[in-house]
Amino acid sequence: MSMRWYVVRRVLWAVVATYLILSVTWGLLALTPNPAAEQLQFRAAASGGSAEAAREAFEARRGLDRPLWDRYSDYMVNMVTLNWGWSDSRSQPVMEAIAGAIPYTAVYSVPTTILSVLLGLSIGLYSATHQYTRTDYAATFFAFFGYAIPNFWFAIVLLLVFSVQLGWFPVVFDPDVPLVGFAMAHQLVLPVVVLVTGTIAGVMRYSRAEALEYVQAEFVKTAKAKGAGEFRILTRHVLRPAAVPLMTILIGDILGIFLAASYLVEVVFGIPGLGQLSYNAILAQDTALVLGTTLIFTFVAVIGNLIQDIAYTILDPRIDYGDR
Amino acid sequence: MWLANTRRRASSGETSRRRDLLRLLGAAGVAGLAGCSGDGGAGTGTGTGAETGTSAGGGRSDQVTYTSASSVDAQSLNWLTTADSTSGAFVTATLDGAWAIKPGQEIFPLWADVSTDDGRVYEIELRDNLRWGGDYGQQTAEDWVYMIRNVFQAEPNWSGYPNAGDWFRQNPDSGQREPIPVEKTGTYTFEIQLFDVDPSFPFKPVMWRQQCIPRALLEQYVPEKDGEGLRQDEELNTLAYTGNLGPYTFEEWDRTSQYVVTRNDDYYLHDADVPDRFTNAPYFEEKAFQILKEESARLGALRAGDVHSAGIPPDKASQFETLESVSVNVTPQPYARILVYNMRANGWEPFRAKAVRQALAFAVNKRAIVENVLRGYAEVAQTMQPRWSKWYDDSTVVEYGVGDRYGSETTRSRLADALSETEYAYDGDALVDGSGEQVTLTLYFDQGQPTEQTIGEFVAQEIQQNAGIAVEPKSISTSTFQDKFVKTSPPQGVEPEWSAGVFNGGPRDVATSAEPWDMSINLQFNTYPFTPASSKGFFEKQGGINFYGYYPEADIAGLYEQASQTTDEARRQELFGEAFGLISEEQPFGFLAMPSSISGYDERVVGYDEEFNTGWDSQTWRFR
Repeated sequence: MSMRWYVVRRVLWAVVATYLILSVTWGLLALTPNPAAEQLQFRAAASGGSAEAAREAFEARRGLDRPLWDRYSDYMVNMVTLNWGWSDSRSQPVMEAIAGAIPYTAVYSVPTTILSVLLGLSIGLYSATHQYTRTDYAATFFAFFGYAIPNFWFAIVLLLVFSVQLGWFPVVFDPDVPLVGFAMAHQLVLPVVVLVTGTIAGVMRYSRAEALEYVQAEFVKTAKAKGAGEFRILTRHVLRPAAVPLMTILIGDILGIFLAASYLVEVVFGIPGLGQLSYNAILAQDTALVLGTTLIFTFVAVIGNLIQDIAYTILDPRIDYGDR
Repeated sequence: MWLANTRRRASSGETSRRRDLLRLLGAAGVAGLAGCSGDGGAGTGTGTGAETGTSAGGGRSDQVTYTSASSVDAQSLNWLTTADSTSGAFVTATLDGAWAIKPGQEIFPLWADVSTDDGRVYEIELRDNLRWGGDYGQQTAEDWVYMIRNVFQAEPNWSGYPNAGDWFRQNPDSGQREPIPVEKTGTYTFEIQLFDVDPSFPFKPVMWRQQCIPRALLEQYVPEKDGEGLRQDEELNTLAYTGNLGPYTFEEWDRTSQYVVTRNDDYYLHDADVPDRFTNAPYFEEKAFQILKEESARLGALRAGDVHSAGIPPDKASQFETLESVSVNVTPQPYARILVYNMRANGWEPFRAKAVRQALAFAVNKRAIVENVLRGYAEVAQTMQPRWSKWYDDSTVVEYGVGDRYGSETTRSRLADALSETEYAYDGDALVDGSGEQVTLTLYFDQGQPTEQTIGEFVAQEIQQNAGIAVEPKSISTSTFQDKFVKTSPPQGVEPEWSAGVFNGGPRDVATSAEPWDMSINLQFNTYPFTPASSKGFFEKQGGINFYGYYPEADIAGLYEQASQTTDEARRQELFGEAFGLISEEQPFGFLAMPSSISGYDERVVGYDEEFNTGWDSQTWRFR
């Protein structure tokens, strides 16, 4: 019962937090001068036209000629009623824009997340049990290389070498190929490599550090003495206790399936995903689209935190939320 | 290769569609922001499996998609709501518009021809074989007149049509800005009755490449002034009404990724009295625009053959010139790269003196900018018109910064003379102020534009070396520059004697920008080679764009007005020649260079040339 009450309270707080975040986002957008409007005014004035007329036309097109309160209440009602409005920068419904972008983000973020978690954990655990060996150093070097190298630069280098020079992978992303299939996997090899090398270091180093706490533990030594194999020791005796603190980043990584939309990688490889969608919406001050994407990210982050907390209690029954 | 048997996307070298032209020629806008002009099309195509067809003697090349790369995506296919060049390019692939302008500044009728007896009343005659899509029937004068009166000239501008201002002019009888009268004179003819003579009218964006929408479609929204409904109309947003009115038909638009159109087999020019190459056009089965924001990806795609055309920056052009698979095409464009001096109260006051500006014009080696920074892909700029323009008169233009009109000695002696009655003077090599301090000025350039940064640093170095003025180059974002440096207004509570709008908020001693600045190269100004009178506002004390506080000594605006109302072309050339000569002499800004537009094309693509406004006939381009 107490656990249920805790979850209810957290969900209610999530609603309040989401409302506050959306309101602040809306307020910031309303306050920020729109460069596109200013550019149109400048163009009009430079060609002998009226800057004022250009501004009025822009405001009419964007619905900015209405009172602030009307605009605010409309947007908020739209959010609640799941009618997220019309994207002015893309000329389509916001829902349609988001629904169209999510699959393209998912096709690279799902494999990226799975690979970075699996490889990060594996390498981290291996390094912990082979501390200060050559393979530990090599694994550490690999992880830090990926972490240190800028994604944007690395993506361009891979594109130029493997796509332009060697022709192994396409230069141009083709959105028409089936989402699940060889052609899609083929054109996503480079983006996934870039993202995995960039994210693996965190999981690897963290899992290594956590595992090291238990590698020399009495119960691990006991297991060894009883003849347990290395794999069993790692997965049953080291990983299980280490998993509780690891949840902090693992849940975050799994949620990254939705949130890890990388604007930079999407730009370099021309992937029409959520990263470009949300970033371009902000640049264009497309209020409806910014609020739509913000709502998704906010929802996932808030719910993710909740799942993370619940996961602790499942993994370690000693943790209780009864008095919180 | 991976693209075999799939669409090949390409871009925009050919996108001389209306809004592109607006950008390039200044039709819609005039002064391009620095950095905007380098974007572009992209593309190349290596000849992977998709291009199997050939076209002999101008015949169609089957199974071929022409793909160009674009750095930006369109905002909408509903052209009533857009002002960006990419949206215009996408739409114009399916809607030709009224007429095109050939490189020699000659009208080429598309949907319509234009004629006038007096340069004031223009008759527009539509072809009789123009058909809308859906159930909208024939395109007639009724569609045009209804759209112009109820949408373009609506007050207030309920639709938000961005170019509505083009359809209003000052009526000399009433002294008010009024809608231009438009009258239907027949099923396929209508008249545009200007208030004043304007021989340049056909070359202005008002009707040049102007598109139209069926009356029946607009009637759903006009009575209620339903702007939201108009913006979200499905037919407008999917180009479902285009019928036989363009060379291609809309196929798909994957936002942020690609835009695809397919050959229109019913293209109205097939039955028109036009040169043969148009009667079988277009020659590509499909045309695609691939959105590739990252320059490396665009150029990589061009090199790898995944696109057939792409814009190329000057510092990369030489690499592509060595490739057999890519043909580099260099065309002149109308934007002048200029050094703007802030003559307002928060700038450097000596800039107000013509002699000081002239002296500084001797300090910067323009040829070095053209050859070394822009790698030869540019021309020296001397006035508000490119040298290749028919309005440019060699005999009147005063040249600066080239030959013996460049150098340290000349600059210093002229500057010393110009400043002789001020507190400024030379102390050795350095120009110092009344308190003996080195004069230091700021020079702003656009953030993230390497070529512009190099130009800025070079100009700073030249002025320092040749004029003895320390110059601090500073980078700034475009939006900040617009907001903090271009907008001018008087201090709060001060009522200026006059105001010419947000960019010229009053006399230069009163109205200033929010932040102080001395020089800038952030903006490129359109010189309007087809309609030179459009730049008049730059040279008027109360011009709407005069954010730099320039007060001309000669009556340049008067010459502009006189020329723009003269129907005798020889006389007009004479008057404009005189005006551009005065501009070069007064040096309202430091004219530096006119960068060229550089595009790379798959070597099999034919149809483009090296003239300004190439692409006016892009529907006739083909693979060899």
